[in-house]
Amino acid sequence: MSALILALFSAIICCSVTEKPSNVSSPNIIIMLMDDMGWGDLGVFGQPAKETPNLDAMAAQGMLLPNFYTANPLCSPSRASLLTGRLPVRNGFYTTNAHARNAYTPQEIVGGISEDEILLPQLLKKKGYINKIVGKWHLGHRPQYLPLKHGFDEWFGAPNCHFGPYNSNSTPNIPVYNNSEMVGRYYEEFKINKETGESNLTQIYLKEALDFINRQTQSQRPFFLYWAPDATHAPVYASKRFLGKSQRGWYGDAVMELDDSVGQILSRLKSLGVDKNTLVFFTSDNGAALVSGPNQGGSNGPFLCGKQTTFEGGMREPAIAWWPGYIQEGTVNFQLANVMDLFTTSLALAGISPPDDRILDGLDLTPVLRGSQAPRTLQNRPIFYYRGNELMAVRLGQYKAHYWTWSNSWEELKKGINFCPGQEVPGVTTHEQKEHTMQPIIFHLGRDPGEKYPISVLTKEYQDVLSRITPVVLQHQKTLVPGYPQLNMCDVAVMNWAPAGCEKLGKCLKVPKSDPKKCDWPH
Amino acid sequence: MDHILLLYLNVFLFWSCTASPPNFILIFADDLGFGDLGCYGHPSSLTPNLNRLAEGGLRFTDFYCTSPVCSPSRASLLTGRYQTRSGIYPGVLYPGSRGGLPLNETTIAEVLKPLGYATAAIGKWHLGVGANGTFLPTRQGFDEYLGIPYSHDMGPCKNLTCFPPDVKCVGLCDVGTVTVPLMHNEVIMQQPVNFLDLERAYSDFATQFISKAVEKETPFFLYYPSHHTHYPQYAGPEAAGKTLRGKFGDALLELDNTIGKILTTLENTGVITNTLIFFTADNGPELMRMSRGGNAGPLRCGKGTTYEGGMREPAIAFWPGIIRPGVTHEIASTLDILPTIASLSGAKLPQVMLDGVDMTDILFSHEGGKRETMMFYPTDPNEKYGLFALRLGKYKAHFYTRGATHSSTTPDLACPVFAVLTAHDPPLVFDLEADPSENYPLRLEERPDLQDLLERIKKVKEQFEASMVFGESQLLKGEDPDLEPCCNPQCHPKPVCCECSPKAV
Repeated sequence: MSALILALFSAIICCSVTEKPSNVSSPNIIIMLMDDMGWGDLGVFGQPAKETPNLDAMAAQGMLLPNFYTANPLCSPSRASLLTGRLPVRNGFYTTNAHARNAYTPQEIVGGISEDEILLPQLLKKKGYINKIVGKWHLGHRPQYLPLKHGFDEWFGAPNCHFGPYNSNSTPNIPVYNNSEMVGRYYEEFKINKETGESNLTQIYLKEALDFINRQTQSQRPFFLYWAPDATHAPVYASKRFLGKSQRGWYGDAVMELDDSVGQILSRLKSLGVDKNTLVFFTSDNGAALVSGPNQGGSNGPFLCGKQTTFEGGMREPAIAWWPGYIQEGTVNFQLANVMDLFTTSLALAGISPPDDRILDGLDLTPVLRGSQAPRTLQNRPIFYYRGNELMAVRLGQYKAHYWTWSNSWEELKKGINFCPGQEVPGVTTHEQKEHTMQPIIFHLGRDPGEKYPISVLTKEYQDVLSRITPVVLQHQKTLVPGYPQLNMCDVAVMNWAPAGCEKLGKCLKVPKSDPKKCDWPH
Repeated sequence: MDHILLLYLNVFLFWSCTASPPNFILIFADDLGFGDLGCYGHPSSLTPNLNRLAEGGLRFTDFYCTSPVCSPSRASLLTGRYQTRSGIYPGVLYPGSRGGLPLNETTIAEVLKPLGYATAAIGKWHLGVGANGTFLPTRQGFDEYLGIPYSHDMGPCKNLTCFPPDVKCVGLCDVGTVTVPLMHNEVIMQQPVNFLDLERAYSDFATQFISKAVEKETPFFLYYPSHHTHYPQYAGPEAAGKTLRGKFGDALLELDNTIGKILTTLENTGVITNTLIFFTADNGPELMRMSRGGNAGPLRCGKGTTYEGGMREPAIAFWPGIIRPGVTHEIASTLDILPTIASLSGAKLPQVMLDGVDMTDILFSHEGGKRETMMFYPTDPNEKYGLFALRLGKYKAHFYTRGATHSSTTPDLACPVFAVLTAHDPPLVFDLEADPSENYPLRLEERPDLQDLLERIKKVKEQFEASMVFGESQLLKGEDPDLEPCCNPQCHPKPVCCECSPKAV
C-alpha cells in the first residue's frame, strides 16, 4: 500500500515538474467543422445510436452549447461567415439572382471570397500563428480565392464538395490540393467508392491534422488548425475499418470515423502536453441534410426540417468547446452563439484587436467559456436567419420571429426533394415563399423547440415580443450594407479543368469556351 | 468477462464489509418523453441533478415501459409482469374504480419486506384505492405512503393554484368527481391538495424516511412516482419561473430539485455508495398539450401509441463506486427492475410467471443484457388482437398501428386519434438501430434475406401469446362514486362537499 502511495506521489511530482508553463497569451486554436452533421447526431444530444463516445467525452470534459447557430443553412456561406466573422449578406457569399435563394460554390461559380474580406488566419498571423486548413475550403476554387491567398500557410483538401465522378469532358473531377498545388482528383487518385461507401479520406485528413499538431508543438509556434472533413456530406463515406460498424448505415459509419478522429486529436494534444493551451471547438456547417435520408443524411433531433431551411433544423448546430483548465468540465451554457463568434473569440484569445473598419457580426465568447457573467451585449444578442438576400427570421432570447417562411417550391417537392420529411407544419413549412413581415409567426423556442405551435397574435405575449424584436430588426436593416454578391455568375470555363500543379501530374484538361450566365439557384 | 467478475467481486466485498444489503430508490416520472431531459438532448430543459445522475451513472438508450398509459405501466413496474397478467387494463384507474392491482400480485416492496427492508411510497400511486383503501400502497408492501393515489388531474382543478403566487391550473381537469386528496397512509390530509407545497412535503418525507432507516440501520426501498411532468403542470416557489422551458420546464425542474435533495440526504447519511438509484418514466409525452407537453426527441408519436415515442423512455441507473459511468444500448424494461432488485438484495423471486429478467449484467458491465424482445400492448389489450407490436433485437414489427388523442396535434399523421386502427400483414418492420424514428419501413418484398426474420418474429409472437394468460380486467369492474376518496365521508352533496382544511402531516 505505501509503495503504491509513493509511486503515485512521485508520479504527481514528475508530472508537475515536466509540465510546461502554458503560453496563455497565444493559445492554439482548433476549429473542427463538420459537413451536414446534425444537432441530433451526437449521443450527448440524444442520438440513441452508439457512434460518438469521443464527442460525448469531449462534452463531459468541456462545455456544451445547446443554442449554437451557423450563419446560413448551406455550406459555402456558412464557412465564409466563420472565417470572416460576418454574415453572408455582408461578406458577399449570397446571390441576388432570385429572392431568398441559397447559393454556394459549385465548380462553375465565377466568384469567391473577396480580397476585401479579412479572414481569421490573416489576423492570427500578426501574432505569429501558423495556420492550416485540412479538408473542404468552399470559398471559391479559382486561383485568387484559394486558402493560401487568404492567410493560410498550409492546406490539404479540396476547394469544392466531393460530388462526382465526372467524365472529364463535360465536367472535371474535383482536385485535391496540397498547399498551392493539386496532387490528384477525387474518384481518380483520391478514391471514393459510391457502390461500397468506402474512402480513406477521413484518415488522410486525420493524419494531416496530427502531423501539423506535432510539428507546431515541436517548433513551439502557436497554431490555428481549421479541420473541415466532409465525410458526412452526401455521398457519405468511411474507411474500411469503419464501414458497416455503425447501426445507421454509411452515414453512421462516417460519424463513427469522425468521432474516432476527434478522439485521436484530443488525445494527441494531451500526450503532447498542449491540451491546457489549446481551445478546441467542434461544430457543423449547417443542419443535417434530411433530403439525403435515410442512408446518407443525419438527424436534427427535436428541431424542424433541415439543411437549406431557416427553421431550427437548418441552422441550430451541435457545439462543444474544450479546453482543459480554462473551460470548466461538464458544463452546459445556454448562451445564444454562432459560428461568427468563433472569429471574434479567436482574436480575443490571441490578443488581436478585431478590424474596426467594418461591421462584425461575431461576439467575443470568452466570458461564456470561462463561465463568468456574460456582458449585456452577449445576453441580448439576436440571431439572424438569412436565406440568400432575405432576412427570413430573427431570434431574440427564447423567441423566434419568422418574417418569411419557405421550405422549397412545390415543383422541387414533386421531384422528391423534401427538406422537412414527415414534418409538415401547416402555414409554417410552406412551399411558397410566404411573407409575414406585417405579422411575423412567433415561437417560444424554450417551450417549443420544434417550432410547431405559433404564439397567438391575440395574446399580450405576442405583442410584447413583437415590440421588442421590431426595433432590433429595424436597426439591423438600417445599418446593413450588403456586400457585392459573389454567387450570381456561373461559367463552364472556370471549372477545375487545369488547377495549379496539373502539368506535373499530367492532369490538365482542355478548358472549354467561356459561356458566362446567371447561376440557377432553385432553393 | 474478467471485468464482470471483478465487479461482482467488488459488490460482494462491499456487502460483506458493510454487512448491509443495498438500498433502492426508484424514481418514476409521469408522461416524460424520451427527449425531455438535457442529457437526452432537450435544448432548453434544466435538469442539473438528472444530468449528474447520467454523468456519473449508466444511461439507457433502449429502455421501455410496458404500456403507453399510466396505470398498466405502473402495474408492470411493481410486479415485473405485463399488465395483461395482473388485469390492469384497458385504460387507467379512476378515483371511484372498484378494481385495483390485485392483492395476490407481489410488488417490489413485498419482495423486499421479508429481508427487513423499510419501504415507502411517495406521490402518484394509480394502482387503485377501492373500498376502505383496499388497494392503497400500505396494502401492497409499503410501510408508509404520502401522496395522491391517482393522477392529479383526476379532480376539478379550475380553481386550484398551480404556480405562485396564485396562477390557476390550466384547463378544467376531470369534473364531476371529488377534488384530488393528499393521503398519508390511508388517511386524507388535504382535499384538495396544495400543489405549491406538495413537492416540499414529498422531499421532506423522503429525507425523513431515509434518515430514519439509516439511523435504525435498516436497508430501505423508496418508491417515488412523481406527478411531474403530467398535466396540469405545477411547481412551488423553488422552481416556478426558473427555466427557459416555461411551465413544463418548471415542473420538471421541481422533480429534479427533489432528486438533488435525495442525493444530498444520501451523502449526509453516508449511504450514497450503498444505494442504487433508478430513474425512468411511465409512458411517452402527452403531445396533445403542445408546448406544455413533453418531447419524444427523435422518436415517433407519444403517449397512447405503440410507436417508440409512446413507450421508449429515458432511464438512468446510478450507484457511485459500483456502476461505472457510461451509456448502454442494451434493451431493457421496467419489467426487469423487480428481478434486478431481487438479485441485488438476495431476495426470493415471487413464484409466478415473471416477464422481467435480471439486468445486473447491464448495470455492472454495460452489456450482456438478457432481454431480446419487448412486447407492445395497446392501451386496451385483448386476446383477439393480441400484441400491437414486438421488438426482436434491432427490429420492430408492427401488427397494428393506431393514433391516440394523447398524441394529437403533431404534424405526423400517424399519431393523432384520426389515425384509425390499421392491421399490417405482413407486419410493418423497422430497423430501430438505423431508423429509431420509424420513418422507413423495410421493403420486405425486395429483401429475401428478411424472410427468416419474419418467420422468427411470427414464432416469437405465437409463443409469447400462447404463454399469456389474461388476468381478469380490473378496469371493467367499473366505478362507484361512493368509492371516491372523501375527507368527510358522511357529507352531502357529494362530490363538492369533500373538501377539508389541511391536517398536519
